[in-house]
Amino acid sequence: MAYYLMLFAAGFAGSFHCVGMCGGFACALGHDPHGHGATVLRHLLYNAGRLTTYCFLGGLAGTLGQVICTPQGMTVSLVGGSLDSAQRILAIVAGLLMIGMALQFFGLLQGFHRLASGFGSSTLAMSLRSLLTARGRAAPLAFGVFNGFLPCPLVYAFVAQAAGAAGALPGFLTMASFGLGTFPAMLMMGGVGHALAPAWRQRGVWFAGSCILLLGLITLGRGILPIAAHIAHGWPGGHPA
Amino acid sequence: MTDDRLCRHCLLTIGPRAMRRTVNGENCAFCCYGCCIAFQVKSGKSEEWEAAWLLIRLGVGGFLSMNIMLFSLLLYAGAFTGVDARLLPWVHLLLWIFATPALVVLGGPFLRETWLDGVQGRLRSSALIVVGVGAAYIYSAFAVIERGTHVYFDTATMVLMLFTVGRYLEAAGRARAARDLEPLLAAESECATVVSGGAETRRPVRDVKARMLVRVRPGERIPVDGVVTEGESHTDEAVITGESRQVAKSVGSPVIAGSINLDGPLLIQCSGAGTTTRWAQICRSVRDALVRRSPTQRIADRVVGVSVPIVLALGGLTMLYWAQWLPFERALLFGLAVLVVACPCAVGLAAPLATSLGIGRLARCGCLVRDPGVLEALARMRLLAFDKTGTLTSGRAHVVGIESDGAGTDEVIARAAGLERHSEHGLAHAVAVATAARGLKPVPTRDVRTVPGRGICGNAEGQPVAAGSGAFMRDLGWLLPPALAKQGRSREASGHSVVYVGWGGRVHAVLSLDDTPLPEARGTVEALRYRGLRVLLLTGDLPAAAQRIATAVGIETEDIRAGLAPEAKSVALDRHQQAYGIVAMVGDGLNDGPALARANVGIAVGSATDLARETAALVLPAGGLWMLPWAVDVARAVRMTILTNLMWAFGYNCIAVTLAMLGWLQPVLAAAVMAGSSIIVVLNSLRLERLPDPVPSAAPDQSAVESAPAMHTSSLPVIAGQAIP
Repeated sequence: MAYYLMLFAAGFAGSFHCVGMCGGFACALGHDPHGHGATVLRHLLYNAGRLTTYCFLGGLAGTLGQVICTPQGMTVSLVGGSLDSAQRILAIVAGLLMIGMALQFFGLLQGFHRLASGFGSSTLAMSLRSLLTARGRAAPLAFGVFNGFLPCPLVYAFVAQAAGAAGALPGFLTMASFGLGTFPAMLMMGGVGHALAPAWRQRGVWFAGSCILLLGLITLGRGILPIAAHIAHGWPGGHPA
Repeated sequence: MTDDRLCRHCLLTIGPRAMRRTVNGENCAFCCYGCCIAFQVKSGKSEEWEAAWLLIRLGVGGFLSMNIMLFSLLLYAGAFTGVDARLLPWVHLLLWIFATPALVVLGGPFLRETWLDGVQGRLRSSALIVVGVGAAYIYSAFAVIERGTHVYFDTATMVLMLFTVGRYLEAAGRARAARDLEPLLAAESECATVVSGGAETRRPVRDVKARMLVRVRPGERIPVDGVVTEGESHTDEAVITGESRQVAKSVGSPVIAGSINLDGPLLIQCSGAGTTTRWAQICRSVRDALVRRSPTQRIADRVVGVSVPIVLALGGLTMLYWAQWLPFERALLFGLAVLVVACPCAVGLAAPLATSLGIGRLARCGCLVRDPGVLEALARMRLLAFDKTGTLTSGRAHVVGIESDGAGTDEVIARAAGLERHSEHGLAHAVAVATAARGLKPVPTRDVRTVPGRGICGNAEGQPVAAGSGAFMRDLGWLLPPALAKQGRSREASGHSVVYVGWGGRVHAVLSLDDTPLPEARGTVEALRYRGLRVLLLTGDLPAAAQRIATAVGIETEDIRAGLAPEAKSVALDRHQQAYGIVAMVGDGLNDGPALARANVGIAVGSATDLARETAALVLPAGGLWMLPWAVDVARAVRMTILTNLMWAFGYNCIAVTLAMLGWLQPVLAAAVMAGSSIIVVLNSLRLERLPDPVPSAAPDQSAVESAPAMHTSSLPVIAGQAIP
C-alpha cells in the first residue's frame, strides 16, 4: 500500500508538470454554460477518460512485463530465480527511463524530449483540437481518452514503472495511483489554471522533476542493490498477484 | 465543382465502400470510414457537429473498450479467483453493459457497410468483421445469462476498436500520398478574386471569362492565364513547367494559371476563360488518370471479390473442426480469428495508393500520365524508339558548316545575314543565329528580292549579293566553282540543307545547315541504356542524316531505321513488339501520332493536347526530354512498390489464416496484426515520396560537355580551317 501511496504522491507532484500542457487543455474545456454542476461533470468526465487510458496502458504494460518475466515453457518453481533477475532488469530500465525524463524536466537531455514527443503526435493533436470545442456531453470524455495517449514523458516513465511491476493488476494499480495523483491538480486547473504565474509553473516543473528523479533512483536501486530486492518483496509490486 | 469519383480525403477512387457526408456545407464523398473521420478532423470546422461527432464516437468507444479490456486482463491474470470468485458473474454483467454501447458506437459503420453491400448482393471485408464480432458478442451474452465461465466481450470490442483506429491511421497516411496531387486537382475548385467596378468578388474559376481582371495576393495560386496589368512579383511555375524556380513578373508579363504568386500582389487581365488553361487541362487529365484502374489492381480486386466467401467458409470449417475436440467457445474463437485475420483490406490498397503517389510525383514535375496502366507498362518496357526531328533534335536548322574558296567565313556569314534579315525562311533564322553567335554585324543590304523556294538577292556595298540554291545561282548566271558545287552536292547527299552564298557575280561559299541534336539528348540516351533499355531511332529522314544524329546522341548503327513513312514506323514498332513484349515510342506528337498510338507507351514531349487525344500516354513538359530516365525510374519504383505490397498482403494473409486455422492466433492479436498490415502497406507506399527529384542540371551539362563540342570540332572550325589555307 505504501508503494501505491508513494506513486500517488509522485503523480501529484508530477502533475505540476501537466499544468504546462494538459493544464492548458483543462482550462480550455472551461466552464459549461449549463451551470456549475455541469462544469464539474465536464471535468470529471475529462479526467475519467484520462484515467481510463492510463489504467489501460498500465494493465497492458504490466501484462507485457509479466510475459517477459515468465518465459513460456518454464515451470513456476524454476522461474523463481530468473523472475527475480528479469524483474531487476525491468526495474533498471524503468529507473533509467524515469531519471532520463526527470533530467529532461530540468532542461537537460533535449534530444530525449524530441524522441519522446515527436512520435506521430500530429494526427492525435489534430484530433484533440477538433474535439476541444465540440459540443456534446461525451466530448470531454473522448477528449480525455485521447489526451491520455498524448506523448508525455511523465506517462512514459510511469508506464515503464508499471511494466516493472510485472503483472496486470499491479500495473493497473500503478497507473491508477499515478492517474489519481494527477486528479487534484488537473481538476483545480479547470478553475484557476489560467491565473497561475509562469514563474510558479516553472517551479512546479522543477518540483515534479525532483520527485520523478527520486522515484527513478529508488526504482533503479531496486534493480541494482541486493538489499533493496528484499524491500521490493515487501511491496505488492514485487509479487505478481 | 467536386468530383464524386475520387475520395475527398485521400484522392483514391471511390469504391463500393463510399460514404457521403456534408462537411462545411459541401457534399463530400469518401472512399471509406477512416477517410471520413480523418477529413473531418483535418478540414471540418469544429463548431460543426458532424466532424466532432465521429471523434467523440471513437473516444467513447475507446473509453468503453479500454475498460472492458482492463477488466478482461484482470480476469485473465486471475484477479477474480478464490474468494472473489462469486464476483465473477457480476464482472461479466458489467462487461456486457460496457460492451453493448461500444458495439453500437464502433460497429455501426461496419454494419452499415455490410448492409449496403448486402442490399446490392455483394460480400465484402466488412462482412467478415460483422459476422465475427457478432458471433463473439452473442455467444458472450448467452454466457452471461447462463452464468458461463468465459465471456469474449473484450475480443469483440477490441477487434472493432483496432479496425477503426487502423482505418483512421491508414486514411491519415493516405492523405499524405495525395499531397502532390492537390495543387493539380485544385484547378477546378479554385476561386478567383474578380475585380470589376472597384468591387472585388470571389468567383469559381469556371465563371471567369477572358478580359476580366483578377487580383492575386502573395502566396496565392494564380487561377487564370493572363497578363500582369499592375504590380510586381515573383512566381513559381513548377506545376506547369516542372521547374521550381522564381520567375520575375512585372506589368506586361504573361502569367500561367497554376503558378504560385510569391511576394507581391498582382492584378491580372485574363487572356482566356478559366476552364481553358493548361492547368485546367492537366487537372482534368490527372483526375481521369486517377479514376482508372491499373491491370494489377483489377486482378487484385477480383481476388478480393472471391476471397470473402472463401474466408467465411474457412472460418466456419475451422469452427466446426475444432468444436469436435475443444469446448465450443474455444472453437468459436478460432473461427473468429480466421475471419478477422483474413480481411483483405491491404490487398485492395496495394496498387491504387502506389500509383496515385507515382502519378502525383510525376505530375509535380510536369510529366502527365494518362492512366495507372501506363506506369506499369513503362516499368516493364525493354525497348524505346525515338523519333528524330523535334524529339532528339531541336527541330530547327543550324549552320553546321561553311566551305568557301578563299573568302573569310566571317565575311560570308555577315553578307548572308544582311540578306537573310529580310527573309522569314527557317534557314534565314539559322544564319541570324550563327551571326549573333560569332558577334558579327550583318552587312546592310538594299533592294532585296526573294524568289520563293529558290533564294534571295540584293545589293550591298555597291555589288550584288545572293544566297540560295544551286539552281538559283545558275538562274542568276553566276559562276559556281566546281569544287564548291561538288562539296555542296556531297553535303546534300548526306542529308544537309545547302545554301550557296555569292557576291559580285560569283559564288564564294556554301553553307550547310542541319538540325542539331538537343544538348540533353546524348545524356538521356545514355541514361536510358544504363537502365537496360534498347534505344532505337525511327525516322522518315535520309539514312545519312539519321546516322549523323545517331552518332551524336550515341545510338548504335544497327538501331537506326531511316526513311520510314509514318505507317512504316508503326510496322517497325509492331515487329519489335513481338520480340520485346512492351515497347515505347517517343515523338514530338506532330507527325508520329499513329506510332505513338500503336506503341504500348506513347511518350510525347511538350504537348498536353496529345494526352487529351489519347495518342500519347505519357507527356513530358516542353524541353523535358531529360526527365525521361527519371520517369522510368519512378515507374519502376511504383511497380516495385505494388509488387512488394501485394506480396506482403497476400503472403501475410496466407500465413496468418493458416496460423489462425491451427488455433495459434488470438483474435485480438489477429485484429492488431490485420490493422497493422494495412498501415504497413501505406508506409511502404509512402516510401515513394523519398524518390529523388529529377536533376535538371546534370543531364544537359553532361551532354553539353560531351556532344556539343563534338559537333563543333567535327564540322565548323575544321571546315573553316580548311577553307582558309
